[in-house]
Amino acid sequence: MAHHIDSSRNSCALHGALQVIEAIEGFVPVVHSTAGCGAQHYLGVNRLNAGSDRFGGSAISSSNISEKHVVFGGSSRLREQLKNTVKIVEGDLYVIVTGCATEMVGDDIPAMNKEGRDQDFPVIYANTPGFRGDVHQGYQLAIKALIEQLPDLGKAEQPPVKGLVNILGIVPRQDPFWEGNLEEIGRLLEGIGLTPNLLFGYGQGVSGWQRVPDALLNIVVSVWGDAPALLLEERYGTPHLSLEGLPVGAAAGRFLYEISELLQLDSRRTEHFVQSEERRFDAQLAALADTWYRAGFQREFTLVGESAQVAGISEFLSGTLGLIPRTLIITDNPPEYAREALLSRLTSLLNGFPTEVSFTEDFAEISDLVRSASASLVLGSALEEAVAAELEVPFVQLSFPLSDRLVLARGYAGYRGASTLLEDLGSALLSDRHHNPVHQQSSAALGCS
Amino acid sequence: MSEKKQGKHIAIYGKGGIGKSTTTSNISAALADAGYRVIQIGCDPKSDSTTILRGGNDLPTVLDTLREQSKVKIEDVSAVGFGGVLCIEAGGPVPGVGCAGRGINAAVELLQELHLFEEYKPDFVLYDVLGDVVCGGFAVPIRDGIADRAFVVTSSDFMAIFAANNLFKAINKYAPSGGARLGGVIANSVQAPYAKALIDDFTGETGTSVVGYVPRSFTVSQSELYGQTVIEAHPKSEQADVYRNLAKYLDTNEDSVIPKPLNGPELKKWARTWGDRIFEVETGVVQKMESI
Repeated sequence: MAHHIDSSRNSCALHGALQVIEAIEGFVPVVHSTAGCGAQHYLGVNRLNAGSDRFGGSAISSSNISEKHVVFGGSSRLREQLKNTVKIVEGDLYVIVTGCATEMVGDDIPAMNKEGRDQDFPVIYANTPGFRGDVHQGYQLAIKALIEQLPDLGKAEQPPVKGLVNILGIVPRQDPFWEGNLEEIGRLLEGIGLTPNLLFGYGQGVSGWQRVPDALLNIVVSVWGDAPALLLEERYGTPHLSLEGLPVGAAAGRFLYEISELLQLDSRRTEHFVQSEERRFDAQLAALADTWYRAGFQREFTLVGESAQVAGISEFLSGTLGLIPRTLIITDNPPEYAREALLSRLTSLLNGFPTEVSFTEDFAEISDLVRSASASLVLGSALEEAVAAELEVPFVQLSFPLSDRLVLARGYAGYRGASTLLEDLGSALLSDRHHNPVHQQSSAALGCS
Repeated sequence: MSEKKQGKHIAIYGKGGIGKSTTTSNISAALADAGYRVIQIGCDPKSDSTTILRGGNDLPTVLDTLREQSKVKIEDVSAVGFGGVLCIEAGGPVPGVGCAGRGINAAVELLQELHLFEEYKPDFVLYDVLGDVVCGGFAVPIRDGIADRAFVVTSSDFMAIFAANNLFKAINKYAPSGGARLGGVIANSVQAPYAKALIDDFTGETGTSVVGYVPRSFTVSQSELYGQTVIEAHPKSEQADVYRNLAKYLDTNEDSVIPKPLNGPELKKWARTWGDRIFEVETGVVQKMESI
């Protein structure tokens, strides 16, 4: 039955598409919609995750259509906006993205796109009205447009790249640590002799996207990378490997061995690399041991986040650290087939400790679930801050939206990400003034009351 | 809005080409001739509703004017036609572009903002709305606060009946929340021997009634060619009296109903029985108590 959603953390398809375009260097979005769509994207997404993009956020090209464009059609307004954008902003690729109003009216976007092409503008378009779905659909629609239309623009001569693999399924900004996560996955792949095609973030531009068809393999981190991977398989026969979650800590090693076997890479090199990574991480775990006991790391936790985050982080926290997963709340509305897989994988993470797994994006429902789970650690988004405070338990913000920290390079993927997660978790436990024996002891030693 | 409403607001719907504009214009002319202040608003992107009231002269549409100038005055978008009827055309986008439904919405809103009705103080406002009620925009005149009653023009052709049935569905949806109710059905181009009986049967099935039968007439065609209504060109003709009677009905009768539209299979079944009956008439099968 239909019901209202309180404070959803999933914005609309147009925003998902913008998040894709803004995360690629040299790509310039042109929004064909009402003025509020661009503003809402800035206020509801960019500003919440600290920082703006080179071209995007509050300074975004938008046709800002009004009633007369709805009545008489807004195609000519888009034509004008595209021309102006090309004059003012230098870009390698201009991407027209549409909102609800212009799609309802039925503006002929392909015709305007063709006009732009006829004038030698490097332009493509994606139909991304919010009524087609949420931010995750927008991510998929924008990538589909890139895969389908970028080849029409021709390809600059590029030297062939050996062992190229594309990384799909990390939605920029919807995963607040998208850039750090991509970089760490890239570092791991390099470690076993592959060339990662990160596609998003620093240094990632049109040439990487033009190389997408040349990849040996598509690595799919979340369910949101499935559709693009299937499209690439259909068009170019590229196989894909689904990680079904962020590889955190030991999971990264398993994933590297799997790829190594699949692509028949040098197994000794892979083993050597994974072992060196694990030794480094094990040394950190050993250094943590004393604090682990004193600060009471082992406790029940509630985790709220997107499916890829929840799967990867809960497996790491329970499998490696021995924390007890009480309640896991998945907020990105994964499709039915993925839900079943997640349920069977996450409900029995620890023997003898049943874990409750819920799918919801409703703020009130999530708060109620967190409250009734009453775990002694809450990991979630800024929206869970209040209920964590109510429970008087340590709280770590790690899913969208974040409000209490600036994210530039931080990520939770891989071995390095696992270290970062330990640091963040440890800091939250150590700074818990109400219950932390370590804090009380050191305060006493310092003569504080 | 309704407490400020001036005059009787009536929306006239029907399939494209069925004679809505001709019927509406002749009713407007007859009402004006009888001394009433009348406004006729064409709600159709074709913007030819009021042509025969204005001798075929051009009239800038509300939406075209709105597109070109930010401030629109009533004088810019209206013309006084036969008998003092104030003629307005909402207009709309070129075919295949934009959203005509939103256009009607915007035009009607603008006319309200300009206090057209308070200032002109009409006795009657007739909205001539295009063809089928294909989306929400075209239902604007029958939603809360605009027209009090809707009439539908139909012939005995199935597609015209189909469009009428669609309008009934729209009225059925909006009337309970304050939208217009159905005033009745105007049977137009009545010529075939079975036409009257077929339309009567349809209204019977849907809980509605026919308020006037307009026979197919040479006088109408000839007047239209002169860019005039029958009331103006042939005021003494029988056809002029037919329109006068319709105008009189609108003036003196306040009856309205919420129609009971037929659903898809019911309408098809109803149509098939009439197909059989017409075939029997044409081929000479005589049935007991046959009325056609």
